[in-house]
Amino acid sequence: MKEYRVCIIGGGIIGTSIAFHLAKLGERRVAVFERSYISSGATGRCGGGIRQQWSARMNVRLAMRSVKLFERFEKDAGFDIEYRQGGYLLMAFTEEEAERFERNVKMQREEGLDVEILSPKMVKERYPFINTENLILATFCQTDGHANPHLANFGYAFAARRLGVDIYTHAEVKDIIVQNGSVMGIESSIGSFKCDVVVNAAGAWSKEVGKMAGIDIPTTSYRHQIFVTESLRDFFPFMAISFDGNFYIRQTKHGQMIMGQGDPNEKPGVNRNVTYEFLKSMSEKMTKIFPFLENVRILRQWAGCYNMSPDAQPIVGCSKKVNGFCYAAGFSGHGFMLAPAVGEALAELIIKGSTEHVDISFLDIDRFEKGEVEIEGNVV
Amino acid sequence: MDRRIKSHPILEFEGEETVTFYFEGTPLRAKPSDTIASALIANGIDIFGWTEKGRARGFFCAIGKCSSCLVVVNGTPNIRACITKVKEGMKVERQIGRGMPLWEEKQ
Amino acid sequence: MKTKLLIVGGGPAGLSGAIAAAESGVDVLVVDEGLELGGQLVKQTHKFFGHQGFFASKRGVEIAKILKNRIEELGVKYMLQTTLVGFYEDTAVAYSREEDKTYEIDYDYVLLATGASEKFLVFKNNMLPGVYGAGAVQTLMNQYGVLPGEDFLIIGAGNIGLIVAYQIAQAGGNVRAIVEISDKVGGYEVHANKIRRMGIPILLRHTIIKAIGKDRVKGAVIAKVDENFKVIEGTEREIVADTICLAVGLQPSIELASQLGVEMVYIPELGGHVPKRDENMRTSKRNIFVAGDLSGIEEATSAMAEGYIAGYTIAQDITGKDLSEKINKYKEELADLRRGPFGKKVRSGLEKMGIVLPSGGYRTDLQKDFGPAGKLRAVMECHQNIPCNPCEAVCPTNAINMGGNINGIPHINYDKCVGCMMCVMKCPGLAIFMVQEFDEYSVVGIPYEFEPLPNVGDKVILMDRNGEDVGEGVIQRVIKNRKDKTHVVYVAMEKGLERTVRHFRVPSDEEDEIVCRCEEVTKRDVEKAIDMGFTDFEELRRYLRIGMGPCGGRTCRLITMGILARKTGKSMEEISNMNLRPPSIPISFGSILRGEKE
Repeated sequence: MKEYRVCIIGGGIIGTSIAFHLAKLGERRVAVFERSYISSGATGRCGGGIRQQWSARMNVRLAMRSVKLFERFEKDAGFDIEYRQGGYLLMAFTEEEAERFERNVKMQREEGLDVEILSPKMVKERYPFINTENLILATFCQTDGHANPHLANFGYAFAARRLGVDIYTHAEVKDIIVQNGSVMGIESSIGSFKCDVVVNAAGAWSKEVGKMAGIDIPTTSYRHQIFVTESLRDFFPFMAISFDGNFYIRQTKHGQMIMGQGDPNEKPGVNRNVTYEFLKSMSEKMTKIFPFLENVRILRQWAGCYNMSPDAQPIVGCSKKVNGFCYAAGFSGHGFMLAPAVGEALAELIIKGSTEHVDISFLDIDRFEKGEVEIEGNVV
Repeated sequence: MDRRIKSHPILEFEGEETVTFYFEGTPLRAKPSDTIASALIANGIDIFGWTEKGRARGFFCAIGKCSSCLVVVNGTPNIRACITKVKEGMKVERQIGRGMPLWEEKQ
Repeated sequence: MKTKLLIVGGGPAGLSGAIAAAESGVDVLVVDEGLELGGQLVKQTHKFFGHQGFFASKRGVEIAKILKNRIEELGVKYMLQTTLVGFYEDTAVAYSREEDKTYEIDYDYVLLATGASEKFLVFKNNMLPGVYGAGAVQTLMNQYGVLPGEDFLIIGAGNIGLIVAYQIAQAGGNVRAIVEISDKVGGYEVHANKIRRMGIPILLRHTIIKAIGKDRVKGAVIAKVDENFKVIEGTEREIVADTICLAVGLQPSIELASQLGVEMVYIPELGGHVPKRDENMRTSKRNIFVAGDLSGIEEATSAMAEGYIAGYTIAQDITGKDLSEKINKYKEELADLRRGPFGKKVRSGLEKMGIVLPSGGYRTDLQKDFGPAGKLRAVMECHQNIPCNPCEAVCPTNAINMGGNINGIPHINYDKCVGCMMCVMKCPGLAIFMVQEFDEYSVVGIPYEFEPLPNVGDKVILMDRNGEDVGEGVIQRVIKNRKDKTHVVYVAMEKGLERTVRHFRVPSDEEDEIVCRCEEVTKRDVEKAIDMGFTDFEELRRYLRIGMGPCGGRTCRLITMGILARKTGKSMEEISNMNLRPPSIPISFGSILRGEKE
């Protein structure tokens, strides 16, 4: 039976980032099991935003570290991921939201993040193509930005493979073998493997994978829809987002506008079908704020899943109940942007027993038992 | 714009872009082996300044023999970009016409 | 600072002089302006002509390292980033840029090896950024790894222009043309042939009239000239280029020689004003010597020989030892280097100084015999008398000979040639090819110094000596030469083409087979991605953006799957678990807003 030190379940950005960072720390006895293809899950379906403007301090820290790692992604992984630090414009359309933003900015600045607060007039001056009617205020961070999530996922996968990691696609993990409170290995559609550590990076399926080890991962998956337009000239360098307005929008390197929203009436479960209702409500809302869209054509629409945690913050750590069972789940729609820092931190935790760059102990699963929960509000 | 040669059939270019310097206030990356000129051109900057008569000036001879590449470095004008190594934190500005000398006020 | 011998300039001449003198027990100090020793050698990526004693077939960058190592072994002192600013009546002064201070230097002898600088050329807008010296571009590319533009126009088809054009292509740049005002290429034919067979035009009897652009170069206007170098009206045309490289010659750097008060002469054949000197490189002042381009524009090999002659002569003066044997050996070498047609200019220049050198005495007839058909063998396309013999030296069966003198035209004895292709890899002019005829097809082995190397089985477009497309071929074998990097690529082609084909190119995207029209993805892109490891259709789609354009995958989906099936051996059923997404044709936001429910 083939043996590994670490088996990672899930070949999305989280799983491959962990694999890459493990290999970078010198641990090459690592395998990734992806039941479909690389980037088939939420990574390949997400908007690609990379944002540091969060309401929870922990997310700010993780995101700031991730930005550092995205900045050197091409150098580290040898892959151009179309990374662009064009900034992120957070738009508040209600007084409550505006107040929250001001509080957030204070905390973000304490963390060393350079964030501007912009009046509607300033927004209009900078970006005349935005209709600022009803806008109360906006915040802007230039070092935020976006990247191509597929390429980032492939970048980590290929770099990890080059460093000796085995990446199995179309290989579904069926069970995790636990004996005397310790992980012993996994059973998969391509055979059984021994290992000391299993990492649950299964995204939308993190709860099911948790059960295989007898651990309850308190996550729920919800569908989110998204679409892209035809290519336009490069004129929209930043990503715009609003929580009370419930939308996000950006332009890809190839000129396409990509955008989406959340649906409060969505039922839990892994559903990746798309609805026309979504296109209608988006069309109505987006053409009001971005009138230039009226004559722009929509090319393609799809859906992916947010894996929500109770506080909309990720659940990352290693179990105290089952020795060798680690998890990086519940990213609540912002796994892509946090993947570099989370991959690095969890790899450090597994290899060295503690983290070096960002302390992630607060993200451990036991916060829910202890009741130390701070809900992240900056989520669409 | 990145104009570094990514792969070459004969040569290997060593070193990473570990140095940060500033051109007209914008942070740019350079290799420790770079001169100011090679770092600027690698970053896609060809115009190093303007002459007294308003002509754009840039790199020309690469060996410190002409006056084409003069820039202002940390406030000091007339620095030949092609033979001056770039240093961490260095502030490089385009030189417009004749440079203004830098001096310290003595009490 | 005190030294017996002060050498100004750490290029091939200065370093050779330092080695000769230090070997003979003289205390030497070398002062050089550059960041590293080697002078212009540090940016020379082509292989040198000559013979093994002068590092023939080695690249300049390697020669610089060898010389530097020898200098360090011998304990020669040297100062870098230091300019000798003045030879005053009382002292010599050097200025260190790094320390920002001056040093006074006390010396008995001086060897000036200050080299040369590039000539400028007068045309409209010639000061625009983007008009660069060819040597300056070489420095940027080969020393700093920076390519200053994408589309290059080279002015001047001497050896520097030809070599820089080739090196720009190696670094990934496009050379639009080489413009040469005279009616013939000034550099070696083998260098010109390397350029021509890539399809880069060498426009003889042409000149540049102006650079186009406001703040930087965007193009150039060139025109034809008549016998008197006058522009022929109506022949002007524009060339799109972002970089114009001036390779219009070199001028000796005579400033220090002049300060030292040595006698100067004006000899156009040697590059203009040069110090007058004797056969031993001694100027009109007993203790002042010169070597290299300063004493007459030539090549690194002759610069090294002159450096040795000067170094040993100075050592003989200082130590009193008899070093005439060594000195004469280098004089003979130098005479041989200058014996041929390319030495003619220097010979006549030196004659004006009273130095008479021999000429002729080497084989000039070309080999007519193409060798026995069917045998794998080397064919030589070295048609000029260049002082160079690495092919003869490397041949393990002594099949190649120069006819007794290094300037001779090489001939091959096909009874002895075993087809080992060592001469192909060694030849500094890339002028030797391999051929073999089979019943159905022929094969040509081509020396190749570009990235990426093609893969066996790749289809390529065959090119003749002038860079014209003459058909299609298939890469049959790739012999990698890790050591000195001249690889040999064997291309199979239609029989009869083996006498014509001397280069090939990988089909470019413009004429490539497009798979996805919306995102302009080519068949080659798909195949490359599969080779990278994208063996899943969905991964491939996401990586290449196939089907992400307005057509929604109608043109590309099946083709891509077909390529994937063929390359991976998977069946179409295995591959096609696709997931097609609405809307099936693009619809505008407005059309949705105006939509009706009933």
